Amino acid sequence: MQIAVSGGKGGTGKSTIAVNLAVALANRIEIALADLDVEAPNDHLLLGVELANEEPVTQFMPKFDYSKCTRCRKCAEVCEEHAIITLKDGTPFLMPTLCSGCRACEIVCPVPGAILEGSRLVGHTYVTETPYGFPLVTGKLLEGEERSMPLVVVAKKRAQALNKDLILVDTAAGTGNTVSKAIEDSKLLIAVTEPTPLGLHDLELILELGRLMSIPTWIVVNRADLGDVKEVEKLATKYGAEIVAEIPYSEAIVRSYVAGRPIVLKDGPEAEIFKGLADRVAEFLKEVI
Amino acid sequence: MQIAIASGKGGVGKSTVTASLLYFLKDEYRLIAVDADAEAPNLGLLLGVTEWEEEREHVGAKVARINPETCIRCGICHEKCPHDSIKLVDGDYVVNQLTCEGCNVCGLVCPVPGTVTLEEVRSGVIRRATTKYGFPIISAQLDVGRPESGKLVTEEKEWAKQLMKKLDLEHMIVDSAAGIGCQVIASLGGADVAILIAEPTPASISDVRRVYKVVQHFRQPAYLIINKADINPGFRALREWAEGEGIPILGEIPYDRAIPKSMAMLKPVVEAFPEAPASRAIREIAEVIMGEILK
Ligand code: SF4
Ligand code: SF4
Ligand code: SF4
Ligand code: SF4
Repeated sequence: MQIAVSGGKGGTGKSTIAVNLAVALANRIEIALADLDVEAPNDHLLLGVELANEEPVTQFMPKFDYSKCTRCRKCAEVCEEHAIITLKDGTPFLMPTLCSGCRACEIVCPVPGAILEGSRLVGHTYVTETPYGFPLVTGKLLEGEERSMPLVVVAKKRAQALNKDLILVDTAAGTGNTVSKAIEDSKLLIAVTEPTPLGLHDLELILELGRLMSIPTWIVVNRADLGDVKEVEKLATKYGAEIVAEIPYSEAIVRSYVAGRPIVLKDGPEAEIFKGLADRVAEFLKEVI
Repeated sequence: MQIAIASGKGGVGKSTVTASLLYFLKDEYRLIAVDADAEAPNLGLLLGVTEWEEEREHVGAKVARINPETCIRCGICHEKCPHDSIKLVDGDYVVNQLTCEGCNVCGLVCPVPGTVTLEEVRSGVIRRATTKYGFPIISAQLDVGRPESGKLVTEEKEWAKQLMKKLDLEHMIVDSAAGIGCQVIASLGGADVAILIAEPTPASISDVRRVYKVVQHFRQPAYLIINKADINPGFRALREWAEGEGIPILGEIPYDRAIPKSMAMLKPVVEAFPEAPASRAIREIAEVIMGEILK
């Protein structure tokens, strides 16, 4: 079973919510937290742990054996990324950063052995035990690599292989196809927003994504005192989503964020809100199992 | 000159600072602003744009489609799709339009000709407006679930370049997307200077370091602005990192409730609360930029 926490735009407090929810859920159910914000993974910093158990993620890259290649150009023609350029005589050359590793070139090449198996490191995944009773799976794209999709796919598989009852996914910002990949297979989408005009603009996009993917969606309003929650309610009604928690702006949350110690572990009103949210999630899980 | 403003991750105040800098720079230079955060564009909103004067649809993304009439349900496409985007739904193999990358591997491996088609779909829109401050802005919005936000950004910048020629503008200020992926690479590509924005937290340093590595690929000079400089007293790692890398610090902006308030008013903080501490700090930074970078 999987639940995703997403937020449309960055900086809404999505990771704070995901991390605290994971800590609060860990003593009720076997869970893994998956940080699929592969371009800027931060959950380990919020949890105050060092990434461990590194595994490389490599991607296929064609290597040409020019002694066999007949210069037919078929590989270049099928490459949707235009990663293969050909010289006048048809000799193919790869522009590595454009290659997505899809293997279309290899599939169409008529000469066995003309395209060899090359590979390129595109990032790493990690499985880190946390002191809070659950493992954190992290995907991290290498700087200079353009494509986060393979990292999202591999990190997600690594999380699934842990065989926990629940995977809590923390997605990247935005609503592009790598975010949909991270959310895919979730039974519930928790959208985090601020009640400001900018927040609402981004919330609508993530609600739209939830609707397109037919996933029931909850809304957590972060920094709820910054704006008008009524406006969030209107959007919630429009998309059939439900507001399940409101978190006020809090210095204590900022401090815990900076110190790498989840706020839910301390006593105080903020911790109670996260525990309440965890209760709701636990109830939801009972219903769907 | 082309300046890209980046942070590695959202939420550190990049768009607010960008909008405020634009507010000061507009009096001295002929500018164009580009909002390259195609997945969550908001610079236009912050600059008071309510209506776009021109919109261009961007058709560039491709997604596969399987014809259930001719499909023999052999499952080869499902097995070979590099992105796991083909699922068995009620006995039919179906492409998930929201995660497909359009590589056409499914089409190449399918044994039944014509069963898989690759369709061009709209990936988003690119828009142009004149801000109430007089300078033009180009912004893009990626459609939900589409790939290739990098291509959208590249196209935005192309349009901006054409406008610069036509209107005889001097500088392009690009508000980059979060992250370090294709959008950011497209935002930084071709820029003369990168201005990085970070806050003194472990998460923000980690993000800005990563985007700085991308900047180094392009061999662009980089500068740093420290936002919410006082939220974490005693934390020196951000300054130390910048000093160690030889990245000049353009200035520090204190944490100031005027910023979220101004955002709620959809105005640059320097316009909404010109005497707020954050606004004064940004004014000083704008002066440094005019003196050092745009001189
Ligand atoms: S693997 Fe795919 S993207 Fe890479 S060169 Fe071959 S066809 Fe192009
Ligand atoms: S498809 Fe194979 S034989 Fe043809 S140009 Fe490409 S590598 Fe050479
Ligand atoms: S086009 Fe590529 S990503 Fe899309 S379904 Fe086919 S094989 Fe998968
Ligand atoms: S490869 Fe072609 S025939 Fe086989 S399941 Fe896929 S679409 Fe159907």
